[in-house]
Amino acid sequence: MTILNESGVPDVVSPLHGLSGLAEDLKDALILVVGTRADAHLALSLAGPLPGSPAPGVFPKKPAPSVSFVVLEPGERPEGGVLASRVVEAASGSRDAGVVLLVACRSARFLGVDPHFEAELAERRLGGLPVRAIEAVPATSGVLSTDLVDEALRVLVDLSPSGVSGPEHEESIHAKGGARAGLLGRLRGRTGGRGSYDEASEGKSVVLLGGASRSRGELASELRRAGVEVGGSVPADERGGLPGGISELPAVGEGAVVAVLDPYLAGATREAEERGATVVKTLFPIGVDGTSRFIGDVVAATGGVTSGTARARKIWEGLEHLRSRVRGKRVFFTGDSGLEVPLARFLANAGAVVLEVGTPRLEKRFLGVELSALGSDVDVVESPDWRAQLDRIEAARPDVVVAGPGLFVPLVARGHLCRSSLDLLALDPRGYEGARRVLALFTRTFERAEALDALNL
Amino acid sequence: MRVLRGLYEGPGSHGILRVAASVEGARAVLCAYPEEGYFPALHGALTRFGDPAPVSLSPIGGPGLARDLPEVLRKNPDTEAVILARSESALLSGEGLPDPVLPESRETGRAPKLVICPWEAPSLREIEAADLALMELVRAHARPQAKSPTPTVNVFGPPIFGPGAEEEAQEMERLLGLLGIGAVRVPLGASVGELARLPRAWANVVLYREVGEEATRFLHDEFGMPRVTTPPLGSAGTGAVLRAVGELCSLDAGRVRRTVWAELARTAKLPWYARLAVPETFAGRRAVVFGDFTYALGLGYTLAREVGLEVAWAGTYLPHLEKDFLFQAGTFTDEAFFTDDPDEVAARVEETNPDLIVGTHLEGDVADALGIPFLPLCPPVAQNPFVGRPLMGYRGSSVLADALDGALGGPPGELVAWGRPGDPGGPRRRWRSWRRYRPF
Repeated sequence: MTILNESGVPDVVSPLHGLSGLAEDLKDALILVVGTRADAHLALSLAGPLPGSPAPGVFPKKPAPSVSFVVLEPGERPEGGVLASRVVEAASGSRDAGVVLLVACRSARFLGVDPHFEAELAERRLGGLPVRAIEAVPATSGVLSTDLVDEALRVLVDLSPSGVSGPEHEESIHAKGGARAGLLGRLRGRTGGRGSYDEASEGKSVVLLGGASRSRGELASELRRAGVEVGGSVPADERGGLPGGISELPAVGEGAVVAVLDPYLAGATREAEERGATVVKTLFPIGVDGTSRFIGDVVAATGGVTSGTARARKIWEGLEHLRSRVRGKRVFFTGDSGLEVPLARFLANAGAVVLEVGTPRLEKRFLGVELSALGSDVDVVESPDWRAQLDRIEAARPDVVVAGPGLFVPLVARGHLCRSSLDLLALDPRGYEGARRVLALFTRTFERAEALDALNL
Repeated sequence: MRVLRGLYEGPGSHGILRVAASVEGARAVLCAYPEEGYFPALHGALTRFGDPAPVSLSPIGGPGLARDLPEVLRKNPDTEAVILARSESALLSGEGLPDPVLPESRETGRAPKLVICPWEAPSLREIEAADLALMELVRAHARPQAKSPTPTVNVFGPPIFGPGAEEEAQEMERLLGLLGIGAVRVPLGASVGELARLPRAWANVVLYREVGEEATRFLHDEFGMPRVTTPPLGSAGTGAVLRAVGELCSLDAGRVRRTVWAELARTAKLPWYARLAVPETFAGRRAVVFGDFTYALGLGYTLAREVGLEVAWAGTYLPHLEKDFLFQAGTFTDEAFFTDDPDEVAARVEETNPDLIVGTHLEGDVADALGIPFLPLCPPVAQNPFVGRPLMGYRGSSVLADALDGALGGPPGELVAWGRPGDPGGPRRRWRSWRRYRPF
């Protein structure tokens, strides 16, 4: 594997694009975007369907009602506390809010707004409702379209209770069925042979970080099969008839085992580590082998042992008809969401030939396991230049290009078969079912292209 | 500092990019932070053209414009004009006005023309900036020259992303063609070379005053070119434009009149709709209009005068055209206003409870909530059809007739109350359409 830094301008949609999805995921969050007209326009413009994005209905047409914009006039230098007052007004009109996220755009800083101070002030005035400021764009070089999600989940990790050990926690785990799961796990360990569960795991709570509700459910049930009960997830899911929300966040601290589902959650992962949680360093649960190793390593981190080889083999067998359509196909990732490396690893495992994996930012330490699992003949290009990528795509003529919305239409116009990176993100590619969805998506893509090519126009 | 749920127009840099992307051979270079380069994604989504957006990003904190520009021109050797834009964040961060020297093109041997926008400011909004950017492009390229031997006009229509922008210009071109007048479209579809030849035309027809006002004023002041500013919306507006252009091109008035009559008989269906529908269809029914300048005024006038609806109020979101709008809207409504807050518009709609809303896509929510027929005919609109339909000209008047027929239906039947007595604002009264009870 070669890693090259092209230091170019990659085709990346702004992280503010993620507002709609965030509003859907964090149902009790009131999201206030603080910035100028340009920032609000950007967020609103990107809320509509973008090239290659899924069919209408998958993405909401406009930001959810829980998203509002605090528009700063360029001439004003707002005094300290003015923004906090607006936040208080907005939060007062939203009775169901469990948390207020103040998404601070770069321009807000230029206008002298200190979003963290304002958030603190607003929280004090709101008497307990948490208000947190997050940066719309990270200070690091290279922007991923998913950076806002990482920032939001970092805040949620920060808002999670930190205490895991101790009698109180034991009680809560028992109340949520932890003891039953442990017993079930031990029984399975003895009888089913699918996994064994160690006594040491009883003191550890597994927290799933990231992903989507559907894949979190699937992975939790896979872990349950292996004898490990998931204590909760960030963001919190609906459980036992209770709506998932800020009050349902699991404890993330010493004693918690955090299993990270997404390769773009470096910030949220660091936050969990700083709180003393054990972060499982493994492959992300994308693809069959990735999911299998993820489950095995999470179980191992709780003190258990499981071997997912047989299950992975069975899943691969079930996917053979889809895999056969992908085998030998040449795939090019232009890169914008951060999902590219594990997706490329999965497709390579499925028999595809990965020509290039572009990524605007490569967190080598965070993605260390993934990078080492990537085939030796794959080129990873950090911060690629989109125009140079166009030339390379023209030269290589891949069978399919996974591209961002900016390059989607030009590539289709040049006769390339394309799938949008946003489409793959919305597909929820995690877990075994996610693997099926990814292979089915590519199969559909190839089949439709063949059907269209066969037409005598 | 205001809390808003939506915006009617974007920042100034977006307006400059829209104009640059409309002109063939022009390329915009945007000095901005990397996350602000969202124009290519929007360009793909809204135009669905195969070409990448003619916009290059010069990232702040990168090598700088002096190094980026030659690189941009090397990669895009067919560039004939470069227009520089700075994002709002770039302006706020104190990014100065660069003055680079452009290298010569290997293809033409000439350096592309560099157009800078010294008036850029963070407070400048999309439409005004687009208007000024087009003027800068025209000023940089237009050269004095003899008039064309046969009558020609420049048609200043909406720029790229304008709903039906292409079709509006096509319809006007068709109508002018019936009079034997040649037309050059500006800015959408014009080439940089055509910008240089604009003074050859006999007159300028301003379809979309929002982005055409300053450029046509410049052409008037610099080259003495007359202009027609009536919006060709509705049959009356279209007829007025054709007659004015005919006069400026010294055409025989009888020929213009015959062409107008032929079109009224053949193409324009709005007058037919107004005559075929029984008077009760419109009597006592109130419409409200909110939008930009051209469409809001043109449609408001048409609804009031040609169709016979009462226009309860008309509003605009364009602050720089506010005074003019209020003056012009006074010809067809008693109440005209400016606001750029969608919630204020929604509150006015709720208070008025009209029978028809003509507005932007941001009025869709309130129309849905109150169950009021809604026509999103003023930009910005959310629809993005592959085949656009004009609203201007005689064909456009037919499109409007269809839209009104669908929204208003037949004459109102009984007056029914809906909503509960305890609801805020009390029960609302609505006409129940007879159409609902049609047997077939």
